[in-house]
Amino acid sequence: MPDSVKSPLNIDFCGMPFNTPIVLLSGCVGFGEEYTRVKGFSNRETGAVCLKGTTQEPRLGNQPHRIYETPSGMLNAIGLQNPGVDKVVDEILPTLDFTETHFIANVSGSTVEEYYEVTRRFDDSPIDAIEINISCPNVKEGGVAFGNDPAMSARVVEACRQATRKPLITKLSPNQTDIAGNAQGCIEAGSDAFSVINTLMGMAIDIESRVPIIGNNQGGLSGPAIKPVALLKVHQVYQVCRDHNIPIIGQGGITSAEDALEFMIAGAHAVGVGTALFYDPLICQKINAGIRDYLTRHQLASVEHLVGTLQLHQQTRPKCSC
Amino acid sequence: MNKSHRDSIFLEEAEILSHQGFAGEQFILRVQAPQCAHTALPGSFVHLQCDPLQPMRRPISIMRTSDSEGWIELLYKRVGSGTQLLSLRKPGETLNLLGPIGQSFKPSAEHTHPLLIGGGVGMPPMIFLADCLRSDRLKQPFVILGSEVPFPFSASPSKIMVPGMPEGVIASMPLLDDWGIPCRLASQQDLPGCYQGYVTDLARLWLVAMEKALRQQVEIFACGPHPMLQAVAQLAAEFDIACQVSLEEFMACAVGGCAGCVVEVSTPQGPVMKRVCVDGPVFDARQVF
Ligand SMILES: Cc1cc2nc3c(=O)[nH]c(=O)nc-3n(C[C@H](O)[C@H](O)[C@H](O)COP(=O)(O)OP(=O)(O)OC[C@H]3O[C@@H](n4cnc5c(N)ncnc54)[C@H](O)[C@@H]3O)c2cc1C
Ligand SMILES: Cc1cc2nc3c(=O)[nH]c(=O)nc-3n(C[C@H](O)[C@H](O)[C@H](O)COP(=O)(O)O)c2cc1C
Ligand code: FES
Repeated sequence: MPDSVKSPLNIDFCGMPFNTPIVLLSGCVGFGEEYTRVKGFSNRETGAVCLKGTTQEPRLGNQPHRIYETPSGMLNAIGLQNPGVDKVVDEILPTLDFTETHFIANVSGSTVEEYYEVTRRFDDSPIDAIEINISCPNVKEGGVAFGNDPAMSARVVEACRQATRKPLITKLSPNQTDIAGNAQGCIEAGSDAFSVINTLMGMAIDIESRVPIIGNNQGGLSGPAIKPVALLKVHQVYQVCRDHNIPIIGQGGITSAEDALEFMIAGAHAVGVGTALFYDPLICQKINAGIRDYLTRHQLASVEHLVGTLQLHQQTRPKCSC
Repeated sequence: MNKSHRDSIFLEEAEILSHQGFAGEQFILRVQAPQCAHTALPGSFVHLQCDPLQPMRRPISIMRTSDSEGWIELLYKRVGSGTQLLSLRKPGETLNLLGPIGQSFKPSAEHTHPLLIGGGVGMPPMIFLADCLRSDRLKQPFVILGSEVPFPFSASPSKIMVPGMPEGVIASMPLLDDWGIPCRLASQQDLPGCYQGYVTDLARLWLVAMEKALRQQVEIFACGPHPMLQAVAQLAAEFDIACQVSLEEFMACAVGGCAGCVVEVSTPQGPVMKRVCVDGPVFDARQVF
């Protein structure tokens, strides 16, 4: 696209031309069409839409309650309810309008083989890119159990890499000690990009009955409550991504243009919006407008010029965060 | 590509026109929401932000609408943090509201005697349904409302006779009486003119008093607390009567995006998880109980 017709919000993400840096996050927008029920909402406001986590076989998901509001956020334990990859590819993808945005599959599994098979199935489909979810806290096997073990993470990425040449995005868990080290391993295994971060594990208890409110007992915490954690994780992962030109979809609690800008300055090329849609289904327009204003105010021709522009304070004394 | 679902739910900054408190922590709220009022159907609900300080929305059913005046009316009970904040909102302020949402009650053409049962804050969809049925000359609805706190209206003796009612059970909702729709009230409490007992017991008296042929014309619609719906479903099964119920579950998006609000529904292919927000909230009772 010649520079003259480029909008300052356009970005390139793994070779995909995104309209805007916004990515709608997996699990918050069903299989891509759900939010179009709302008048004024358009997938065109986004660079990409991530579909719900998909497994080889259909899954019923967890028992209710599956969601619960907590201070500045919410817990969820959906349990990867999905109709199975064949149905997603054969029946859902043909109903999506790929001229509106890019659609990214979100792949989950209980074994490395399942990740491979689901990725292979999506490889043979119109899907634009594949996100590997090795960080789902809500299923017993796979998910976060893989994501928190760097060797397993790399094995999953390696297997998926063999199954597709489409852009491969690895979704990292915040529930691990060395996220940057894990990212390094995933890059070596063939990951083209990262989603940082998935939800943090949490719990809520009904004090009258003394049982957990969430049917699955524990759930993933999302929303503004996790934003500072997410921002630091993006900053840490960016340190290893920068040298390899690997882009990041920064996410976790973004509810405004200011939040989105913080993530980009920390090192994210794109920004994910999930829980904020529940607050305001038309939030994307507002975030885009806010980013545009900021770019004008700072005389920046493209949002891409912002990525990783964080200037850290120089530390003169020995480091201690306490 | 079928995109008929698109643009069916509206986001409105709805001005509060009136907001009235009643005994038993109940409130009736009328807001200006012309787009929602235009397409809402009985069983539709709104997902509203109780206060800007609390961004997660709360689902509340629509009780009445005026398409010509562009308002909708809600009845809610103050039960927790969200409804507490909502109860403090004043006329002239605005509420951010998403609606109308959900599958409505769908009366079938062949049943002439709809029985509407609403318990507590499950009354709103029944009142909305009654309002819609009154223009249908072929339908002869009967409404039973139940409450364990005083009703959020002044109950008065009905001018309309209802066969099968025990002596003294004469109290009705005046609005329904004005519409010419027979209604009776039930409560475990000793409220004047009300049947003292469960809504399902009163419904049973009405059904038993009917001729069998007429009973085949009955179809039940219900909304209320889960145990009440369970009892209604049982009653419907016992008399082999079709029955639609409106369910509740915790919600995040309310547009079908998060799969957070599911209920287990039995189908010929086995159990499936359906979303209360967009696949419901109204379900066939036989599939969910
Ligand atoms: C389709 C639908 C229609 C409804 N219609 C009405 C109505 O017309 N009038 C009315 O008074 N109430 C209605 N409810 C219930 C109402 O949504 C809850 O009472 C309300 O969400 C409680 O919020 P809170 O913050 O005051 O309570 P809290 O107990 O503090 O809520 C904590 C969390 O649990 C959720 N929650 C708690 N109880 C319920 C419940 N019964 N259903 C769904 N979510 C719940 C809340 O949304 C919130 O996220 C309806 C629910 C649904 C699903
Ligand atoms: C209801 C819900 C369901 C989710 N399901 C998935 C999922 O299937 N796969 C996945 O990778 N992430 C899932 N997530 C995580 C989000 O994609 C996102 O990473 C996380 O919520 C943080 O962003 P947010 O604070 O903007 O919501 C889910 C989140 C929510 C709230
Ligand atoms: S509340 Fe999100 S799918 Fe129903």
